[in-house]
Amino acid sequence: MTTMPTARRGRDTLVGWTFLLPNFIGFAVLTMVPIVLLFYYAFTTWDIFGGAEWTGLANLRQMLHDRSFWTAVWNTLYYTVFHIPLTLAVSLGLALLLNRKLRAVAFFRTVAFFPYITSIVAIAQVWNMLFSPGYGPINAILRAVGVDNPPGWTTSAEWSMPAVIVVGTWREMGYYMLLFLAGLQTVPGELYEAARVDGANAWQRFRSVTLPGLRPITFFVTVLLTIGSFKVFDLILVMTDGGPGQSTLVLSQYIFQKGFEENQFGYASAVSVVLFLLCLLVTVVQFLVNRRRDA
Amino acid sequence: MKRSIAAAVGAATLSALLLTGCGSGDSSGGSDDKTLTLAGWSLATTPEFKVLADGFHATHPDITVELKEYDAKNYDTQMVADLAAGKAPDVYVQKNLKNFYTYQSGKQLLDVSDVAVTGASTDAYKVDGKTWAVPYRQDSWVLFYNKALFDEAKVKYPDGSWTWDDYATAAKQLTTGLKAANSKALGVYEHTWQSTLQGFALAQSPGASLESADYAFLKPYYTHAVDLQNAGAQVKLGDATTNSLTYQAQFGKQQAAMMTMGTWYIATLLSQQTSGDADKFEWGIAPVPQLDESTTGTSATPVTFGDPTGLGINPKISEGKIETAKAFLAYASGADAAKALAGIGITPANTDSATTDAFFSVAGVPGDDVSKFAFAKHDTKPENPVSKYTAPLQNILNDLHTAVLSGTKDIDTAIAEAQERAKNEVLNK
Repeated sequence: MTTMPTARRGRDTLVGWTFLLPNFIGFAVLTMVPIVLLFYYAFTTWDIFGGAEWTGLANLRQMLHDRSFWTAVWNTLYYTVFHIPLTLAVSLGLALLLNRKLRAVAFFRTVAFFPYITSIVAIAQVWNMLFSPGYGPINAILRAVGVDNPPGWTTSAEWSMPAVIVVGTWREMGYYMLLFLAGLQTVPGELYEAARVDGANAWQRFRSVTLPGLRPITFFVTVLLTIGSFKVFDLILVMTDGGPGQSTLVLSQYIFQKGFEENQFGYASAVSVVLFLLCLLVTVVQFLVNRRRDA
Repeated sequence: MKRSIAAAVGAATLSALLLTGCGSGDSSGGSDDKTLTLAGWSLATTPEFKVLADGFHATHPDITVELKEYDAKNYDTQMVADLAAGKAPDVYVQKNLKNFYTYQSGKQLLDVSDVAVTGASTDAYKVDGKTWAVPYRQDSWVLFYNKALFDEAKVKYPDGSWTWDDYATAAKQLTTGLKAANSKALGVYEHTWQSTLQGFALAQSPGASLESADYAFLKPYYTHAVDLQNAGAQVKLGDATTNSLTYQAQFGKQQAAMMTMGTWYIATLLSQQTSGDADKFEWGIAPVPQLDESTTGTSATPVTFGDPTGLGINPKISEGKIETAKAFLAYASGADAAKALAGIGITPANTDSATTDAFFSVAGVPGDDVSKFAFAKHDTKPENPVSKYTAPLQNILNDLHTAVLSGTKDIDTAIAEAQERAKNEVLNK
């Protein structure tokens, strides 16, 4: 290999930086610096004007006794525990369904993907109307099939979270379906042929060929879904605003309330750090479990 | 060759980025002492800022007031950011009292105790014996009613003698009467905000306070509201929120015969009746219903609530402009500005009889005596106390609001829970 002249190399470096910098400056100023500062603010009280005052672990102690915080943790887990398996099942089901050589398959794939690119505010508005207890079509259908006392959905404490989970799943299924579709292309066709020769039926082929073949993509989807569920925010903010009462208050919204509504940016930062650690912990556990299975 | 083009493009992008970065660093306010900058929102549809700016320029021809536009919905968020960045205008609006506390405690307001204010009260803006802002506008809640629908249901117009019991009775009579007349309208619409009930409860109940963590005073108000929902005299909260009902459409499109709302709605209703966004019908305003008979009738002063809208001075204003800014504040709270504001359908903080006359000479404003009484005479308490506890306590009481009106919790349980949370999460922290 011949060495480049110094001048040329210097110019190459310069060109490289000019391509990198516009994006990097944006990332550094708008993402990296705030994230680093967040860890500092978590140990302070700060009302945005003037400087932050160092208070050590006071925010953490307050959190331990803060019942609303625990309500938010509980609700976030509730959402996560139901949203992940439901979305996995629905998006995998859709992917299997739309992986065949059907007529107009591209059309159906687009339809399934549509909710993901639709404005969240519009989604919330329309679903709220569908769920409307008195006039909504969902309850109208339930009444027509003989349910005397249909649920109050987003207006009742018991049913608001299930309603939000349904909409969350509906919204995201198309995106994960796309990932699964990509995964399905990587499963070698010979394996299916061999299984057929061995006399395996459709269910057996699915269990012993498709699922193991999808393992890497399933893992990837689960990690994405977990992080997404833990930080669910926009959907809840526009659909229920955490209500009725605190029945759908989740951690991200609690952070928003404390920070931007009550100007307690120190405490809000501390809750953000806890949310970050929670995501990190669960993801690390998932990686470890996955590695053990690989071995 | 190709590479040098790429380098040029890269360098151009970079310099464009740096240039825009520098460009936005310029101070937006006029730097000379003859120009005052004033914050406002939605200037095209909110003429009050221009009225103040032009009015001041007319009396002080050498001074120009420049408006800086903000987004109405995100006004306070944007203002907080601009103040923290040192880029806010010289004079900025205190849109509500909740955020006045944020600005005052954050040292973002200049002491304006020496501004002479006559005919308007600065009480709401006093902290530690000093005045930090001056009001130019004072909205207060009144009862809007649709005369046509009242006639159709054969119910007598509100005359200022109503307690909340009378109001509930009328709401039910209206609903029955309207149904009999084959109208789809309901008796009353209470908007989804927590202040629609809690504002009155806090203002009218003797000794009521947010920081007492004793919320028993809310009970009669919620009992009424739940009763009206169950009787079908008003839309349930769940149906109002899931269908995103707006109060402008509920009253303006004649879906309800009466509605409590702030006086800001007068100007909106007038312009919507002209533009066709609201039906054309005869309406009036009356004092809001009272807790008991001690404050009803036209010889008493009805108690209601509403926040003043005020002006404060940015402490980063240049030394030479402070006196001009104070003169502007004095003008905005004075009688001349009040008359000009009343002329565009706004309720000024300064309400002498000349102002009332100017207001009722606006085309379309109802001219009956009860309406005039409701406009001119009331004891208006602030919607919320100015305190660091207000925002978190309000969030707790908003949870109570949605829980009770959606039927998720009964009022006693919800009050007990809110009291517990207020102590646990806010007051004893």
